[in-house]
Amino acid sequence: MSHPRVEAVAGEARAAIDRAASSAELEGIRVKYLGRSGDLTQILKSLGALSPEERPQVGAAANEAKRELEALLDARLEATRAAERRRQRERERPDLTLPGRRPARGVVHPLSRVRDEIVTIFTGLGFSVAEGPEIETDAYNFEALNIPRDHPARDMQDTFYLSPETLLRTHTSPVQIRAMRLQKPPVRIICPGVVYRRDADITHSPMFHQVEGLAVDRDVTMADLKGTLDLFAREMFGPRSKIRFRPSFFPFTEPSAEVDVVCFLCAGAGCRVCTQSGWLEILGSGMVHPQVLKNVGYDPEEVTGWAFGMGVERIAMLKYGVDDIRLFFENDLRFLSQFA
Amino acid sequence: MKIPYGWVREFVDVKLSAQDAADRLVNAGVEVASVTPLLPEGLRGVIVGEVEAIERELGESRGHRLFLCRVRGRGAQRFSVVCGAPNTRAGVRAAFAPPGATLPGLGAVTAKKMHGLESQGILCSERELGLGEEHEAGLLLFDGDAAVGADVVKQLGLDDQVLDIEITPNRPDCLSVLGVARELAALTGAPLRPPPISLREGRQRAADLARVRVEAPDLCPRYTVRIIDGVRVAPSPAWMQSRLRAVGLRPISNVVDVTNYVLWELGHPLHAFDATRVADATIVVRRARPGERFITLDGQARTLDASMCVIADPERAIGLAGVMGGQNSEVTDATTRVLLESAYFDPGTTRRTSRALDLKTDAAYRFERGADIEGLLDASARTAQLMAELAGGVVARGVIDVYPRKRRPVRVRLRMARVKRVLGVAPPPAQARRILAGLGLGVRARGADLDVTVPSFRRDLAIEDDLVEEVIRVWGYDRIPTTFGRGTVALARDSDSGRQEQIVREALVGAGLTECVTYAFSDPARAGALGTSGALKLLNPLSQDASELRAHPLEGLLGVIATNLRRQQPGVRVFEICRTYKRALGGDTETTEPRWVALALAGARAEAAWHTPPAAADVYDAKGLAELVAGEFGLAPETRTGGKLSGFEPDSHATLLVAGQPLGEFGEVAATTREAFGIDVPVFAAALTLDEGVPPVRRTPRYRPLARFPAVQRDMAFALGARPVTADVIADAIRGEAGSLLRGLAVFDVFPLPDGRRSIAFRLTFQAEDRTLTDDEVNAIHARVAQRVCAALGLTLRGA
Repeated sequence: MSHPRVEAVAGEARAAIDRAASSAELEGIRVKYLGRSGDLTQILKSLGALSPEERPQVGAAANEAKRELEALLDARLEATRAAERRRQRERERPDLTLPGRRPARGVVHPLSRVRDEIVTIFTGLGFSVAEGPEIETDAYNFEALNIPRDHPARDMQDTFYLSPETLLRTHTSPVQIRAMRLQKPPVRIICPGVVYRRDADITHSPMFHQVEGLAVDRDVTMADLKGTLDLFAREMFGPRSKIRFRPSFFPFTEPSAEVDVVCFLCAGAGCRVCTQSGWLEILGSGMVHPQVLKNVGYDPEEVTGWAFGMGVERIAMLKYGVDDIRLFFENDLRFLSQFA
Repeated sequence: MKIPYGWVREFVDVKLSAQDAADRLVNAGVEVASVTPLLPEGLRGVIVGEVEAIERELGESRGHRLFLCRVRGRGAQRFSVVCGAPNTRAGVRAAFAPPGATLPGLGAVTAKKMHGLESQGILCSERELGLGEEHEAGLLLFDGDAAVGADVVKQLGLDDQVLDIEITPNRPDCLSVLGVARELAALTGAPLRPPPISLREGRQRAADLARVRVEAPDLCPRYTVRIIDGVRVAPSPAWMQSRLRAVGLRPISNVVDVTNYVLWELGHPLHAFDATRVADATIVVRRARPGERFITLDGQARTLDASMCVIADPERAIGLAGVMGGQNSEVTDATTRVLLESAYFDPGTTRRTSRALDLKTDAAYRFERGADIEGLLDASARTAQLMAELAGGVVARGVIDVYPRKRRPVRVRLRMARVKRVLGVAPPPAQARRILAGLGLGVRARGADLDVTVPSFRRDLAIEDDLVEEVIRVWGYDRIPTTFGRGTVALARDSDSGRQEQIVREALVGAGLTECVTYAFSDPARAGALGTSGALKLLNPLSQDASELRAHPLEGLLGVIATNLRRQQPGVRVFEICRTYKRALGGDTETTEPRWVALALAGARAEAAWHTPPAAADVYDAKGLAELVAGEFGLAPETRTGGKLSGFEPDSHATLLVAGQPLGEFGEVAATTREAFGIDVPVFAAALTLDEGVPPVRRTPRYRPLARFPAVQRDMAFALGARPVTADVIADAIRGEAGSLLRGLAVFDVFPLPDGRRSIAFRLTFQAEDRTLTDDEVNAIHARVAQRVCAALGLTLRGA
């Protein structure tokens, strides 16, 4: 079937395909021999010029060579392209050990975080959040709370004044007074907020945050206060946490109690943080003083109440091991980013 | 308040160790901050030595005459000691550290060459023994009773523990050794043994030797005087000096020391006047005259006012009542007759005076908390007795006592049912009765309840609940059970502002910003750089740079940026939820505290990383973050250039408006402002109000069916000519022309043209709900929009 003229071209093409090293070269070969003006195509186009005897022979041979070459080219191209893709991936292989493209995310301030933790625990216990102004009157901040002028208890809360009658609140207790004047018992609120005392060292900040709680109802007892704070401590500091009540003095509660939680660093064995006592003081509390109830128009024979107040910074310092309160207000990003 | 435990145990027979006693006190509400040994660390082997003879004077050294002394020690021991103390005399007994002893700070004592002579040990001052600061006065001396060779630790009672006690303001009765002993007695059941008062009085009557006239009985409800005649002022005995040192007082002289000693022992402040320096021997208790000048014992001239109470004689003030005595009447070495004051001064007056003069004394501390108006007679008698014992002299007969309105006894009924109601638990009535009696209260059973008479030293017990606390604090707070009570079912949640802040916090933290909390105090210098005025001022700031309240929502964050850039942070992206403070409109005293979310950006937009080309934050970051916050509340603010807040660059400052009302402002912080904070890179910032127009909750979404037909996009770029036209205006015009098929419009490219104009390109998205739009349809709208917008706004369509 072969024909010398066809075979010469086909042989040349086979050799070229054999030698070709890339898919581009193979495409070139296809054009050179099988393209519109390719060598083999030329033979097929010129069949008309041949003798009638020669025409079928050459035609058949050329068509067969064309089929053969096309098959050969396709097979080679596929193999070559696969190899080329492999090489390409090889070159572009990703280094999966490089750092990922992480979306930037900021950090909630540790004081907000602790405030929210406390609020979440108490809202879960049925306490609603109440808030109030930071600039207060002497009457709300002190007198309604049973702290008259010229009383030494004022030493416990050194105060910033804006005028003889207005001041920066020293606790969020005035919020309790405002809430009680607005509603009848039962009252169950917590009052988070910024407070101010004229004091500055590594454990005292002139501005800090408090969360106070208040429950007033018929038959509210100190045992309820203890139960509530016990539960709070276990939520805040872990299920094995324990609290103890120590007698203390606040002008607006009677009886009053200082509340300690078992040191969670040494589990009560005594360490540097708890100054060897095994206990950490976390808050002040007590039964609302009958005079305070009278001041807001409640009848102390009718209802009783308890209240507590804690410093958010103090809790945050204990919980996160921060040893200088000023770090919270300096806002060094290297500090804040540790609370991500 | 420091008190030696050994002293307490003189008055109460408890077997507890000092630490155990401290624990009991703490559990009953008497805070004991520490229990420390009285013995200075490193004091060992020091004895009472007697200077037998001064053998030789060795000349002067550093202003002191040096002597070579022969010192007698234990048994037949004799030491040759060089000493320069001014009170070195033959015959005195002094603290002596022989070779082999150790002294605090100095270590082991050895025989040493001094001035060519061997000194075999050291005669010691108070300071060398580690007992106090005194050194210049010379050796610590003992009286003749001290056995030579005895260990000074025993001799001075240093083998003891000191309790550092912090007394709450309601318990002035505990501000003494006896008071603490009384608590321990009540807590342990051990009997209380108050110091014996056995006063031997002379023949002369006090009333013949002095007179008292109280002209201000409201300021001084009780004033008593005793006279001790014929005293000899000298140093007080070593044991008394040692106790005074242990509580932190400096021994002065027997007469003065006795008053201080009794102050600590019984808790009542006393004052000794030199009676001969009191004109007419007449005490007048009166209000100070306005502007009256007076020199207190500490040598300070004080200017008084009419709210203050003075002790005077007919001619002049001689004491500041309840606070401090006067120089003109103080006891000196020459004093022979003492006029001893024991009085009760009004707590409020004492406190105001002490604070007004910034004069805090042990006496004022007690009077302002409330002294014992009945117990002051015992204090006077005890002082007179000790003074006569230690300084010689005779106590005149009787006491002058001006006490016009006797204190009425305080009686309180304690219902056991109330105890249970307040505490949730109650001890058996008999137990409660024992507890109250143990505290020195008078108790009578009355049915199931108790009738209680409160003694004058317990001013804090006025109402029934005060007694409830007494009962439980002695019975034990650990007996209170833990319960929950009956809860009232109610919806409990965070406040509106709390929830709103939570939304802001989540959005901005998610967007890569870090939350800050800064002081509300403001530095007037910096506030000035921010251009604010009318800030609220503190009357008593801690420092000048924190003397006002924040008036600009960005002040705190600018400080934070400065701090962090200084500490080599390449980029700072922060926000703060804060308040500013100002006078309310139209009010002189009313104030308001608007709440804000402030955010600020400086330096790199993102941390340097291999995959992100470095870029600095710009004003569009600030705007975008402000829009993000607004979007959380379902608000889509418009922008208007300019704004009310100060501190922005005028050409990069705009206001975000919702329904025509300002929601907030953003822009680039003015270079002069940030430079005042020490920031040398541009700062972009925004501040949004959280008060008005911002709901406390996230927007509630409304579902809209999804489009079922494909969308078609077309771009449209304009060259902005000389007329100032903003992106907002063009977008509005496009929306107006395009009609309801326009579903999306975004600015996707902005760049400057070579001719100085600016190109702004919009991408328009068209979509119909009921059909697939044809190219012809969209092209027609697009062409119409482009033509009309260009014509209306004077723009050139680019690429057309």
